[in-house]
This record gives sequence, structure tokens and C-alpha cells, in this order.
Amino acid sequence: MEPRGELFVLGLVLTIVVLLISVFISVWARRFTRTLGDYYVAGRSIGALNNGLAMVSLALSLTTFIGLTALIIEGLYIAVAVYAGFTGAFIGMLVLAAPFLRRHKSFTTMAFIAERYDSKTLRYISVIVMMIVSVLYLGGNLKGIGIVFYFLLGVPELWGIIVGGLVVTLYVTLGGMYGVTYNQTFQSIVLIFCLMFPVAVVLRSIGASGWAFPPLGYGDMVPLMTEVVPHYFWAMVAHPVTYIAIFLGSFFGIIGLPHFVMRYFTVRDAREARWSTVICVFLVGLVNTTVYATGFAAVYYMQTAGVDIAPAAYDYVVFILVEALAGEGWLALAIAGSVAAGLSTVSGLLLIMGAGLIHDLYGSIKPDVGDEKKLKLSYGAMIVVGVLVILFSLDPPEFILEAIMWAFGIAAAGLGVPIVLGIWWKRTNKYGVGAGMVVGTLVSFVCWIMIGYMGMDPVDIPFPFFAQYFYGPLGWIKVIAFTVPLSFILTIVVSWLTPPPPEELQRQVDEMHGWSDVDPTRYNGKALPITIIVLSVFIIWFMTTLYDQFPK
Amino acid sequence: MSNSSRRGYKVEVWVTAVCFFIVAVIGGFFSSIVVILNERFFHQVPTPEPLIPAYGETMFVSIEGLEVLGFPLHYFLLVVLSWIGVTLIGAIWCIVMDRLEEQQRA
Repeated sequence: MEPRGELFVLGLVLTIVVLLISVFISVWARRFTRTLGDYYVAGRSIGALNNGLAMVSLALSLTTFIGLTALIIEGLYIAVAVYAGFTGAFIGMLVLAAPFLRRHKSFTTMAFIAERYDSKTLRYISVIVMMIVSVLYLGGNLKGIGIVFYFLLGVPELWGIIVGGLVVTLYVTLGGMYGVTYNQTFQSIVLIFCLMFPVAVVLRSIGASGWAFPPLGYGDMVPLMTEVVPHYFWAMVAHPVTYIAIFLGSFFGIIGLPHFVMRYFTVRDAREARWSTVICVFLVGLVNTTVYATGFAAVYYMQTAGVDIAPAAYDYVVFILVEALAGEGWLALAIAGSVAAGLSTVSGLLLIMGAGLIHDLYGSIKPDVGDEKKLKLSYGAMIVVGVLVILFSLDPPEFILEAIMWAFGIAAAGLGVPIVLGIWWKRTNKYGVGAGMVVGTLVSFVCWIMIGYMGMDPVDIPFPFFAQYFYGPLGWIKVIAFTVPLSFILTIVVSWLTPPPPEELQRQVDEMHGWSDVDPTRYNGKALPITIIVLSVFIIWFMTTLYDQFPK
Repeated sequence: MSNSSRRGYKVEVWVTAVCFFIVAVIGGFFSSIVVILNERFFHQVPTPEPLIPAYGETMFVSIEGLEVLGFPLHYFLLVVLSWIGVTLIGAIWCIVMDRLEEQQRA
């Protein structure tokens, strides 16, 4: 079965409505933008519910709607494990970073790193890391918008990438963070309803008695499903270090992805930052579990109806399924929800890229430039970034979720590690962070070039000693189980071997944790760094064990 | 550091460590634990031929009977714990930190 690839009027109408409302919200939100702080962090005025909903739409990108379903068909249980890790990662980000970053009062991740470690060089390096992970993340999502447009109009994916990219660039430029936040809130509501209802109808049509609650509503069909797809729930797929890599990539990657972290700089205080994450994780889990149901329904439908969908069309399977089992009205809803999901994530990424270039890069090179001029430059930078991203996305990855997973891995090693250690260990200094960031990012990025971009087999890449262990399903993901521990080890060891940071930098750690007084013994013990080093060495060693016990 | 702030510091660090550990286990490592403990939850069977390239000659499958709401136990736990479980842990952490923040202000 092939994706329809022809004009779908109802879907097109709903998509245009979503696009127009998004632009309208940005035009409306523009009135709130007076200063640079309004443009980048919405004047730090966003409440927990609003921020939580905005985070939901950031988290539930097109990779969730489209890529996860494709990966479930491809990899089955392990795909669920990936998203289970991703859902839990929000609480990891909550307890390790969220409220503390809010108290730091930076504008961006890059500013946090530069100010916490008092280093312009680290600011520039973190801007480069941010650009790499953002482009990877965006490439996947813009391809998703291209997929939706192909399904809607039958036009090549390229046109979807261009049109979707231009629309989102327009409304991000117009509305800044206020526009992005209110748009993301609107898009969250749209995408939750536009996924839950069509999936419920699909489950009803395949006979699931609990169809009204998609996350678990297909449980009674499991015996029948395991009859037609016996291996669906077979958990034993890969070496355990694969799951550890998923944990490291998702838990530290989400902290390193600047568009997630930036949401915490927009809220009113640390309490709002905390509760917005709880709201977010509940809704993200609701939608993720619904997507697992979609993946199951797709596998079940393909097996029972004898439908053959080519692997290249797996990214379209949500739409194929909804059209076949629910009808065109529901398909139109699912498409509108998908567009909303794609736009919200892309908008967050564009804003952080613009902020990185103007606030962190230009503002650092020319510190005397006033906020008013920076604000004007920000509008221009946003347009330039949008166009550049569209150009980069013209050659998108084959499967969109893989690009996102690489982005998580690079962000974890390059940005996640310095943020977490900067919050929890006063002794972390700029030398350690520089070593960890540069080596962690470089190793991850070079591996992505070889495996993700050039398409080399992970076991064949020139990676001394370790390449032989990158075997099995999603074998490349084990790269993360090497780079994140390596980044931790380098940061801690080099920090220990070099002079401690000045007192005023260590004071920031007490302030981030809400203490009005300063105590040099707080967050300065040896237990945390030693534990991290031991665990890191163990994980790297563990990758080389049990070699004969798991499938190659 | 006064006694109350020392106690507050310890509460913050320990509650955070415990919550992170639990979330890491049920959200991130749970699958891994299932895999590592496969002797307890799974038994080995020959892999169906089409799946051999991906899975190898043998696979571990869940033992029949360990089901909740029709789902194999490991799948049910993974899905429910990584969603409801982590949300609850997050909420508990937030409540503790809210109280700590009030003490810090006082």
C-alpha cells in the first residue's frame, strides 16, 4: 500500500486553519513584546499550566506522531523502551535542572554555561553545539511537515519543508517567545485531541473493547495480536547497554537540548518551573502511550488485513491507518494535529537558534550594543536562521526519529553534562567543562557523520576497540553509552586537576538552590563526583561484556 | 551553616537522589532490568526465521500467565510506570521542594 499523495481538500482546509490561527496568535502576541527579555523569555511571566502545555507541544513533535509509529513497526518493543526513557527524562530534568536554571536568570543554555563558568570560549563552543543539535532536530521535524504535505497535496516533500518552514519562520519572527508560547499552548491542545480521537476510532474499528481510552484500551486484544504477531512484546532484543544508552541520551539529552531548557527561563519562578514539568510529563505520557497503541494497531492491521506497506512508507503509516480504518474526517483531524506538532517544535528550535546567534554570539562579541538594537537584529536573525534551516533540511534523514535520537546523544554529551555538574558540583570549572564538552561533542558528532550521514555500518566505523560492540538493532545508539560517560569523566577529572573556580562562581550554585547564605561545603563533596566516575567507567566497561550473549 | 539549613540541604540532596534513582529505574533502566533479569521473567525459544537477522538464533519471550489487563507484565509495567509512576514521583519531589523553599524564605 502506498500513501495517497493526492489533493485532500478537508485535510488541507484544517491545516490552513491551524496555520492561520498560529500566525494570528503571533500577531496578537506581538503587542506584549517591548524588550529583549520579552522577545526571548516572554518577560519571565508564564505560569505553570501555560508552560506545561507549551512543553508538551515541544516534546510531542512530528517524530512522535510519525517517527515513533514507524520505529515501533521496525523495532517493536525497543521503540517503546526509547519513549519510556524519554517520558521519564522529563522528571530527570525536573529534579536535576529545571528550578535551578530558573533561579539562575539566564536567557539561554549558552548564557548559563558562559556565566556559570565565566568563559567566553565556552559560550562560543556551546553556541556551536546548540546549532548542531538544533539543525539535526529540525531536519527531522521539517521532513515530517514535508511528509504531511505530500499526503495532503501529492506535492513532493520538498514543498512541505519550504512552506512549513516559511510559515513557522514568519510567526516566530513576529511573535517572539510570547507568540511561541501561546502558539505552543494552542498546538498542544490541538495535537492531543487530534491524536486521541482518531486513534480511539481506529481501535474501535479493529475490535478493541477499551477503545475509548487508547493508552491501554487495546489490552484485551493482546492475545489475538500475539497470535498474528508473536514477537511483538518480546523484550529481549539487544545488549542491556543499549537501554543504558537510551537512559543516558534521554535523561541528559533533554537537559542539553536548549529549546526545552529555554522554557524554564520564561516562567515566573522556580515553583512554576517545577509544576509545569509535572503537568507536561503527565500529558506527554498520555500521548506517548496512545502512540504505542497506534503502532500496535498498525502492526495488527498490516498482519490481519494482509496489507503490505513498504518500509520507505512507514513514516506515513499513521495516516494510512486512520484513513483505512477511521475515514477521511478523522484523517483530516490527524493531519491538522500533525502539522500543529511539527510547527510547535520547529518554532521553539528557531527561537533558540536566533537567541544563540544574537544574544549569545553577537552580544558577546559586541557587549556595548543596546537591547533595542539587539531586538531589531533578532527579527532579522530569525528570518536568516529560518531560511538556512530550510536549506539544511532539503536533504533530510531517511527515518526522522533516528536524527532526533542523534540530537539527544550529542546534546547529552555536549551540553547536558556541563549543566548538571554546574548545578550540583561547585568544584566544576571551565577547564573541565571545556574538555568534556569538546571531546564529548566531537566524538558524538563524528560518529553521526559516519553512521547517520554517510550511512556506514556502526561496526565498521574507525572507532578504535569500541566499534566492534556497536552491533545489533539500533547498535549505533551505544555510542551514547561511551560519549556521555566520557564527558562526565573528563569534566570531573580535569576540574579536579586544575584550580577551583573563584568564590563568586561557586556562590551561584548556592543561589541556584535557593539559599540566601553561602556555604563552601554545600554541593562540594567528593561523593557525587566519585560516584559518577565509578558509574561512568562501569558503563563503558559493561559495553564490552556479554558480547556472545546477545544478537549481533 | 545553621542546623536548619544543614537539614534542609540534606533533605534536598537525598530526596533528589532518591527520586532520580527511582525515575531512572522505572523510566529509564526498567527495560534494562527486565533484560538483565530475563532468567526470572523470560524463557528462551528459537527465533522465527524472518527475525533471525535482527534477533539472532534464539530469543527470550515472556512466560505465559504474567499478564495485567491482557498485557504481558513487563510491557504493562514499562508503560504504566514510565508514565503514571514518574508523574507521581515528580509531584512528590515538587511538594518536598515547595516546603523546603518556604523554609528557606523563613
